[in-house]
Amino acid sequence: MGRCLLIAALCFAMPAYASAGEPTYRNDVMAVLSRGGCNLGTCHGNLNGKGGLKLSLRGENSDFDHRALTRDAGARRVLVNDPDSSLILLKAAGKVPHEGGVRYSVASPEYAILRRWISRGAVNDGDQGPKLVGLKATPSDAILPASKGTTRVSAQAIFADGTKRDVSGLAVFESTNFKADVSRDGDVTVKEPSETTIVVRYLDQQTTARLAFIPDRPNFRWNEPSATHYIDQLVGERLRALTMQPSELCSDSEFIRRVHLDVLGVLPGPQETRNFLADGDANKRAKLIDAVLARPEYADWWALKWADVLRVEEKSLDAKGVKVFHGWIRKAMAENRPLNEFARDILAAQGSTYQVAPANFYRALREPNLRAEAAGQVFLGIRMQCAKCHNHPFDRWTQDDYHHLAAFFARIKYRIVENNRRDKLDSHEFVGDQVVHQDDVSEVKHPVTGDPLIPRVLGEKRAAAKEKDDRLKRLANWVADGNPFFAKAQANRVWAHMMGKGLVDPIDDFRLTNPPTNEALLDALARDFVEHRYDMKHMIRTIANSRAYQRSSRPNETNADDEDHASHALVRPLQAEALLDAIAQVAEVPNVFPDQPAGTRAVQIPSLPSLRRGAKAQESLRFLRTFGKPERLLTCECERQQDTTLNQTLTLISGEVMNRAISAEKNRVGRLLEGKTSPNAMLDELFLAGLSRLPTDSERQVLGGRFASADDKRIAAEDILWGILNSKEFLLRR
Amino acid sequence: MSSLLHRLDRRAFLSIGGLGAAASLLQANGSPSRNSRVKSIIFLHQYGGPSHVDTFDMKPDMPEQIRGVYRPMRSTLVGTPICDRLPRMAKVMDKVCLIRSMRHEMKNHNSAGYYSLTGQAPPTDDQRLRDSRELYPAYGSVIDRFSAAPEGVASFVSYPHTLSDGSITPGQHASFLGPAHDPFFIGQDPNSSDFRLPELSLPANLNLQRLHDRREVQRLIDATAAVAESSPRARGIETYYRRALSLLSSPRFRQAFDLSREPTAARDRYGRTTYGQGCLLARRLVETGVKCVTVYFAATIGGRRSEGGWDTHGFDNNPMYPIMNDYLLPITDQTLPTLLEDLDHRGLLDTTLVVWAGEFGRSPRINNMAGRDHWPQCYTVLLAGAGVKRGFVFGSSDTRGAYPSTNPVRPEDLSATMFHLMGIDPHTLVRDPLDRPVSLSTGSVIQGILA
Repeated sequence: MGRCLLIAALCFAMPAYASAGEPTYRNDVMAVLSRGGCNLGTCHGNLNGKGGLKLSLRGENSDFDHRALTRDAGARRVLVNDPDSSLILLKAAGKVPHEGGVRYSVASPEYAILRRWISRGAVNDGDQGPKLVGLKATPSDAILPASKGTTRVSAQAIFADGTKRDVSGLAVFESTNFKADVSRDGDVTVKEPSETTIVVRYLDQQTTARLAFIPDRPNFRWNEPSATHYIDQLVGERLRALTMQPSELCSDSEFIRRVHLDVLGVLPGPQETRNFLADGDANKRAKLIDAVLARPEYADWWALKWADVLRVEEKSLDAKGVKVFHGWIRKAMAENRPLNEFARDILAAQGSTYQVAPANFYRALREPNLRAEAAGQVFLGIRMQCAKCHNHPFDRWTQDDYHHLAAFFARIKYRIVENNRRDKLDSHEFVGDQVVHQDDVSEVKHPVTGDPLIPRVLGEKRAAAKEKDDRLKRLANWVADGNPFFAKAQANRVWAHMMGKGLVDPIDDFRLTNPPTNEALLDALARDFVEHRYDMKHMIRTIANSRAYQRSSRPNETNADDEDHASHALVRPLQAEALLDAIAQVAEVPNVFPDQPAGTRAVQIPSLPSLRRGAKAQESLRFLRTFGKPERLLTCECERQQDTTLNQTLTLISGEVMNRAISAEKNRVGRLLEGKTSPNAMLDELFLAGLSRLPTDSERQVLGGRFASADDKRIAAEDILWGILNSKEFLLRR
Repeated sequence: MSSLLHRLDRRAFLSIGGLGAAASLLQANGSPSRNSRVKSIIFLHQYGGPSHVDTFDMKPDMPEQIRGVYRPMRSTLVGTPICDRLPRMAKVMDKVCLIRSMRHEMKNHNSAGYYSLTGQAPPTDDQRLRDSRELYPAYGSVIDRFSAAPEGVASFVSYPHTLSDGSITPGQHASFLGPAHDPFFIGQDPNSSDFRLPELSLPANLNLQRLHDRREVQRLIDATAAVAESSPRARGIETYYRRALSLLSSPRFRQAFDLSREPTAARDRYGRTTYGQGCLLARRLVETGVKCVTVYFAATIGGRRSEGGWDTHGFDNNPMYPIMNDYLLPITDQTLPTLLEDLDHRGLLDTTLVVWAGEFGRSPRINNMAGRDHWPQCYTVLLAGAGVKRGFVFGSSDTRGAYPSTNPVRPEDLSATMFHLMGIDPHTLVRDPLDRPVSLSTGSVIQGILA
């Protein structure tokens, strides 16, 4: 098998290279090093190299690599007069021990390229010839029958002089998931129907091929009504192409519960649910969406989401700062402030952190790199971190881009008005006001050259700010209007919060090699967002009114494996705060939080109070931590943990919060029993409160019977309440 | 197979593959140990930083300012005398493997503590290093993730303290491996007469029968919505209910915590201290199949009186030696040899690795407060049991105990060795919160100590 491939490679690949002329260092040798994986971070591209040879990571610095290959190690690595004895060839071919094993056989085209280059003098021709400017994968987006199970991706390089060259024999092909295998030459195979993205790399360019291998469905018939909503049109196009039939719409019970949880983070009350279920208006879902968007809980819920990523936490901001900043965020949500203005306010903020609330953003981010990373992740949906020490391995950002972006934030300084930190040794703790301001001298230095760097926005080669400009204002304006990232990132954020998964996922990881699952839809959402002046409520309303949002979570046989195309609703756990509030709401036993007025809901608390040494956390706070409420030390939604744990389950079975909710004398069951409510009416209310539906006949029969035969009605009622609060239907949003 | 995998959920990301062909190849060559002779690890963490010169790396030929007041005592490990205040320990040194050349650069308790708990160098030597999900997981969490115990038993149990020095020391939980791999943590004193597990004890108003009744209601409702039929998430939650209820209703794991089942003489031998009873509990847990037990010697760095850890600077007129004489060494000499003997006697030392380590050693020179200061440049780690040589000394320090003179190793090498012995490839790639591939350990297996 290996031999056949080899012969095939020799027959077909060699002439292609020959036609491209003699191998060059920059376009061929560098590519061969990448193709062999030699310059990966796990091999010689490692910060410390491997086995004495260090190459630049993924070949980002060809001059450095040329020196390493031709001069270091006593210049034994390439021997111009005796190419086959060159150490790189001996190692690559496994003729001398090589920890990385055999990379190329002697008969391979790659070996031939290296050998030929060495024999011709091993020169660095890095500055000669046209420069690579683009890379194209073919196909770039394809839907294929899974029964065939295979396809070939080819790579074409485009050079500055307009010439094109097939570089399939020089490029690197990588699969982004386990579902597909890709060979060195771009042959993709899958075992079962699946979607995958193949990343193609050649020198410093990367591109992707999105491939969907779909099952044979000869009898597939699309039977959705024709779409009136742009979301449904674009979702539908994709589903249809993938031969996936979306699930039917969810029930009214499911809808009222879902829309309350997603838009407000609370459950609908029993009476609201009764009214909604009884309403005969064909337009009642749209009416409900409008009604829900007008409620005050909206601001609490979306402020919580923003506070998570804006690092609203006590140690850096102190309790007053947390209150001021959280209050400001909440007000912005309540007023439905255009999201780009919200971003502008934050990024341009300077002044006293007690008086200019958004300046707290910078109070928590004490150095330029952290500020640039945070701005990238929160507002642009880009994780720049990888480009701090080297060019981004999976995106187009260079190390220069990173530090030029950081340069916007170089001049931020803090005038510490007072600092009464409790722990003198803790440099992260600040208690007291401070003033965020800018000086006019500080600069970010390039980590390699040491040169001071001018501010430059992503994707621009020119300086973005004049010397006298306020750099923060300049950046804030660029983020708020006139960059290609913000609208998409924020539209995707709203989509993800409503639908359970972003079109780009994770939502702060937009990247060349992480394309959206439905690009047309993302573009349309972003356009809509811009046209409506970044009106969050408009976006939420638009999404909530789509059939895509209103689908049942029950999959059908064509869409069961789908999580990316909105073919059915995604089931997900209630977020920590919403869960704790829901338990309190259903049981009618409010939670108590330290230093918060009575009646405060978990969604409303500005932040988790920092845990002091030796202090035992109060039970409701412990509950929130157990269910993944973040400490807010990262500027990343990923900090919120959504995994199920044993500890969570034990907390729900018999933890203090649950036990109190169930057994508090004056809880909902206590009130119902005291009011001599009939068993049927009691079941109705408990089910409506917890599950937004009435009990089924069999539930009514079994639970009614259980209640009737119980000696202690209170115990029977408590057990029913426990069963509701521990049911999957309660714990999950679906 | 060539795969980039950067979009994969990190939970789904196993040791196979890596970044590109070269990585997977490297892993194939990296030959992870599959001879998991080591079934369990007991990690005895010595917060504060024990003095190596006063315990297991004596320098009797140095002036008193360096050698201190203790005299060397001959031990069962020929040619390796230890401190004369550890006479019982001296009798079991033939079971022990000492590393006398451990070193790193972190001089603060939280940064060095994190290093010692994870084998990962902290980003900065920060006295108040903040615990965040960017930092590395505890050893036990890695073990839970890659070599979990069977159902009904927790893989990773830790107690009885949460380490903190001003702020909580990072490295005591699963961090980016996800909370499913957090330790089963017990914040109770195993030496107290009412020691019990709140997590595994039902509240007074809830007995097993009633729990069973409630479970029936839950099942009835679950059957109606049938969410579990289509949602892996719901099925996952159901799995946890089953596990939790089996823990609540099955005696095996809970009984391990019932130290009253142990003969009084055995409890006395371990010492009626939090640490002594904690080490006894560790043995009982290992017997039930727990994979990693971390016993924290102390919650705080100590050093001022007979409580807390090993941080004997001599501050505030609290010289080191009285604290060592009255507290640190007697507890150590009572408990550690008892644990090793007990494990050995039961055959458990053949399958259990005991690791005794602090976050650093202490300065060779006694300071002018009659104490010793932090010294990460060279210190001793004590190992015993499965996978490592019996009665062996690896590496050495220079004449003053100031720097390694042979075979210097670092905490990441120790972590690589521990993972390797548990059958986990130490260079397995996992995903940090930004989904970047990072290696479980950046060190190399210390081949010289392997049995």
